[in-house]
Amino acid sequence: MSSESRTDGGQTTTIEDRPLKRGPFSRWVENSIKNPQRVYRSMFYVVTVFFLLTTLFPFYWLVVLAVTPPRLLSGVGLYPPGFNPESFLIVFERVPFHWFMFNSFVLGIMTTVIVLVLASLAGYVFGRLRFPGKTPLMLAILAISYFPPAAFLLPLFELFTGNVGAVIGGVYIHSPDLFNTPWPMVLPFSALFMPLSIFILTTFYGQIPDGLEDAARVEGTTRLGALFRVIVPLSAPGVATAGVLTFISVYNEFFFSFLMNNGEAENWAPIVGGILGLQGQFDTPYHLMAAASVIGVLPVAILVIIAQEKIVSGLTAGALKE
Amino acid sequence: MATEQESQQAIRDSGRSGPYVAAVRWMESLSETQFAYLLLTPALLLLLVIAVYPLVTTFGMSLFADAIAGSANLGEFVGLQNYVELLTNEKTYALPSAFVPTGLSTGALLSSALTVTLIFTLFSVFFETIIGFGQALVLDQDFRGRRWVRVAIIIPWAVPIVIQGMIFYLLFQPGIGFLVGTPENPALLNQLGVIGFTPLANTADSLLIITVADIWKTSAFMALLILAGLQSIDRSLYDVARVSGASPWQQFKMITLPLILPTVLVAMLFRTIAAMRVYGIIETTSSCQTVPSLSCLVVTSFNQRLYGTSATVAFVTAAIIGVVVSIYIVKFADAEGGAF
Repeated sequence: MSSESRTDGGQTTTIEDRPLKRGPFSRWVENSIKNPQRVYRSMFYVVTVFFLLTTLFPFYWLVVLAVTPPRLLSGVGLYPPGFNPESFLIVFERVPFHWFMFNSFVLGIMTTVIVLVLASLAGYVFGRLRFPGKTPLMLAILAISYFPPAAFLLPLFELFTGNVGAVIGGVYIHSPDLFNTPWPMVLPFSALFMPLSIFILTTFYGQIPDGLEDAARVEGTTRLGALFRVIVPLSAPGVATAGVLTFISVYNEFFFSFLMNNGEAENWAPIVGGILGLQGQFDTPYHLMAAASVIGVLPVAILVIIAQEKIVSGLTAGALKE
Repeated sequence: MATEQESQQAIRDSGRSGPYVAAVRWMESLSETQFAYLLLTPALLLLLVIAVYPLVTTFGMSLFADAIAGSANLGEFVGLQNYVELLTNEKTYALPSAFVPTGLSTGALLSSALTVTLIFTLFSVFFETIIGFGQALVLDQDFRGRRWVRVAIIIPWAVPIVIQGMIFYLLFQPGIGFLVGTPENPALLNQLGVIGFTPLANTADSLLIITVADIWKTSAFMALLILAGLQSIDRSLYDVARVSGASPWQQFKMITLPLILPTVLVAMLFRTIAAMRVYGIIETTSSCQTVPSLSCLVVTSFNQRLYGTSATVAFVTAAIIGVVVSIYIVKFADAEGGAF
């Protein structure tokens, strides 16, 4: 730093002899040469504004279309040609969008509960116990999350529509017909998103000092009691992280949400069904699709604002653990 | 061990009996390995029923011919014939789109599920890495309002796929907005020749739009992983570099890049796996007929009741992802060995 300013100081004296001939641009160039920090600073602002515009513009576009009156919906520019907030109400009349939202929430919460319980047990085992076969098992669980959902689709479809059977004790028993209930979605979601939670919880549970668990056991707590009364409460941030990530993943999922129900709100179709239901209507109500999308984004947007620290730490811990 | 005896003592002292106490006593008497497997049972059972059983069954189904008529799902046993026919394009007559390209022309490449998926993966992962890196460098700075910039950058990642698809459908559906014009009144992107007048019904244009949509949504994921890597770099390295007169660019090239490379490779691995499965954004924005990705082909052939073929495509997709993963792991081991 100090050496730079000294050489620069020598140059400026020669330039300052004729200051009037310089326009604003060459003045800026000269300042930049004198002070490179400034260039980096302005580059930084340009890049930041670029990222903000590109990430936020699509949302702005949704709002523009949602408030545009339907008869003006062609060649819409950068701002809405009219103002018609009614779309946000009509969308609930056209399709039962509140039911689709409700279904999404129920599916998300059911999956999150199942994943947290199962991943807590598994995370405790991987984080705190030593036993043969530990590493291969962890790798196997990780490998399963590599497979594309498409590779599971056919047998799961047969299984959940009651077309798989086996002869048990001389009687042919069908798998229960679960199609159009939450389970054909909740069970694949749980299997799909559990590995990430297992890795997050393994990290958190592994960090709790052994002494605390031993103390609880000396007090007479059972092994499971020690897990749920000592370890889990102490790693509450980790459990919350795993829960938030699982919920968002379920809310965002498309493949099974689309294929494992008939798209009707009363048959547990989530928001995927609601939005595609609007897209399939004869008059293609673009303003309603945009309004539904805005409403559908709100819950996750709020969740991101509230829980951004947890999301960041969870994603990085889960991915970099391995 | 002492603790186990003590708690058994405690249970005896409480004087209770019944199935609960019996279960607890049984659990306390297990060895550590037995206890570990007991706790893993529910998780493994779920994975067994929802993941392992379907994978094995899918492979089994892929060995049978498609049912020609009647109520049966599958035809006769044909061994690996489905795989051979799929990879030599002998099955294309029955499929909605070819599996491997029939030639090297643009049209052939864009009508094959394999090349469409690979093109999508290559471009989306490449640009996501670059943009994610840029976003991570921005978020690594200290400035006022950083919290809100971070929220703005993360939010696309949290958007449901169906809404992401809807956004890009509404941006590029002809007649709604300013991005797509008509032949009489072309928009800027039309004049530049980037997209046509019905981009969502044209394979090349749709592939471009879907790639952009994916980059928009998942660069944030890349950014967060790279940011974590950036923040784990020892700050004193930069002090040393500054004292020896390195410019910020030199600091970036000599310190940041080599130290961050392993993290970037892991992030790219995760993104590649996810990109190879692309389905939802295609179904919502365009259609599986227009942009035939591998997952699309599984679903479209499944919907045409070509179960044997569908299973074959699904299993080949899984295998391709497996190959990509192993390439990365080998390269990753190389990079790690080279950097340190």
